[in-house]
Amino acid sequence: MSEVASFVRGTWTIAVYTWREGMRKKILMAFLILSVLVIVGSNFMTSFLTQVTPGSEVDMEVKQMKDLCVTAISIFGVLITIFISASVVPNEVENKVIYTVLSKPVRRFQYLLGKFAGVQLIVILNLILMAALFFVALYLKERIMPTLLLWSTLLTYFEFLIVSAFTFALSCAATSAVLPTIAGLFIYITGNLTEYLKDVFVRAGQTDLWIDRMIGYISYGLYQILPNLQNFSLKNQILYLASNDPPRDILLPNLIAYGLLYAVAGYLMAYWIFRRKEM
Amino acid sequence: MPAVIETQKLTKVYESSFRSQDVRALQDLNLTINPGEIFGYLGPNGSGKTTTIKLLLGLIFPTSGRMRILGSDDIGAAAVKRRIGYLPEGAYYPDFLRGEEVLRFYGHLYGLGGADLTRRIDKTIETVGMTPARKRMIRGYSKGMRQRIGLAQALLSDPDLLILDEPTTGLDPIARKEIRDILSNLRDQGKTLLISSHELLEVELISNRIGILHNGVLQTIGTVDELLTQRDVLIHIADPTGGLIAKLNTAGLQVEDATATKMVVRVPENLSVYDALEICRAEKATIQSIAPRRETLEELFVRVVGAAENKTLA
Repeated sequence: MSEVASFVRGTWTIAVYTWREGMRKKILMAFLILSVLVIVGSNFMTSFLTQVTPGSEVDMEVKQMKDLCVTAISIFGVLITIFISASVVPNEVENKVIYTVLSKPVRRFQYLLGKFAGVQLIVILNLILMAALFFVALYLKERIMPTLLLWSTLLTYFEFLIVSAFTFALSCAATSAVLPTIAGLFIYITGNLTEYLKDVFVRAGQTDLWIDRMIGYISYGLYQILPNLQNFSLKNQILYLASNDPPRDILLPNLIAYGLLYAVAGYLMAYWIFRRKEM
Repeated sequence: MPAVIETQKLTKVYESSFRSQDVRALQDLNLTINPGEIFGYLGPNGSGKTTTIKLLLGLIFPTSGRMRILGSDDIGAAAVKRRIGYLPEGAYYPDFLRGEEVLRFYGHLYGLGGADLTRRIDKTIETVGMTPARKRMIRGYSKGMRQRIGLAQALLSDPDLLILDEPTTGLDPIARKEIRDILSNLRDQGKTLLISSHELLEVELISNRIGILHNGVLQTIGTVDELLTQRDVLIHIADPTGGLIAKLNTAGLQVEDATATKMVVRVPENLSVYDALEICRAEKATIQSIAPRRETLEELFVRVVGAAENKTLA
């Protein structure tokens, strides 16, 4: 077998193993079941939440249903992403499987690539399951193909990919999954608030105090460095546009490239930490 | 023929935030293991055995010193790792896999596949005696069965060098004997084995050479015959008298297991057996047997480690 084929087979083996093991995690299953319950029950729940106004109740119900489902996918999806990204490497160090794997002809780069690919398999499959249920629920409600949801799901995945890559990188430096999980949540929240950093920069420039200016520059620096996860959100378009409208005001290839760039940076950071990690 | 494992002044220091709390786990280790040897690597807990193994496998990195494995300085090279089998102590194997699936997983990591991998799985499963349980989930395995599967994954690539960390720990006597037989067969096939263990009797039975490590320093190394040289003589006596015991003690002989009807006299290597027999004859004692007795590995271990600790305290 050639070196390349051997590399691919080894990486894929680790990825599949990571996926099979990850899908058995109880906490992950709990998040998935909760999200499925919310999506499946959204139709029923919105009928309680919606105030009846003649002629507009169907629109309101659909809007609330969309709101509920998009929020559920975002919250449970990112929780699954963070928990699995934070735990795959520390768990393997803890139970010593990593000793037997790295003592085989497996390079550390390859090992990490396999683990990361396994994490992505889990994230993608969970996202597809949640999105498919939402898709069906919305179709049954409106009787039109909710194609906008497909674009939204694609972008949501790239949002999760960025969070996953940096959480994974931090997990390579940790001895347990606790700190990377907290860090992952922090990355997600900060990534959704980067627009505020720009505001801080603009407001800080309004005074001549050096401390204000410094805070402004730091905020601007962080704004430039941190990924802006809001770019990946089509929530408002899903709520206010027709379900079969194309997405507006976004450059899809650029966003995908943006997501991939951050994911590669996160993965390289993981490798930089892991390459000299002592087991 | 070049050494399979060769280390020169290999040192590992686990650094902490404060230099005073650094742990010197291994100190200037010079170790050579030759092809076809079973090397017993012994030492108390925390003596540096597992640190040595992790260094040899590239799981941790040396602070200073050099290593060569299978003729290569590149410890992480795939070509080198392909020739090494490793069984870690207390390793976990995923519960949701069957025994043969675990081996398939590791086989793919070796770059194996297809009919060749299936053939190797069949062979190693048979070697470790797991054929009846090969399709059972790991979660249903006993500790001994898990250890056998661990050994099977180490043997899968037909490695030239096997590194086994506590291979018989937690096994019942029959399983130990079976594992010992497997390891002896591997030696007969020309494989080189490095066995780190607390089971001194097991190591004594199968090793060609032994090294004892304490506080990261190799205290002694040599063949079993070279190291276990201290030979006492045991004299079994029936119906001993009080006078006999007193005279033997005065002569510096050790009386063991003394009862009203029998006793055993240990004549250390530095004293004369003839003098002991003369005393017995003078006291009209009935000598049942005279037998030489070689020091056990356990006694050597306790003596070497004890001396090293006394040196440290001094």
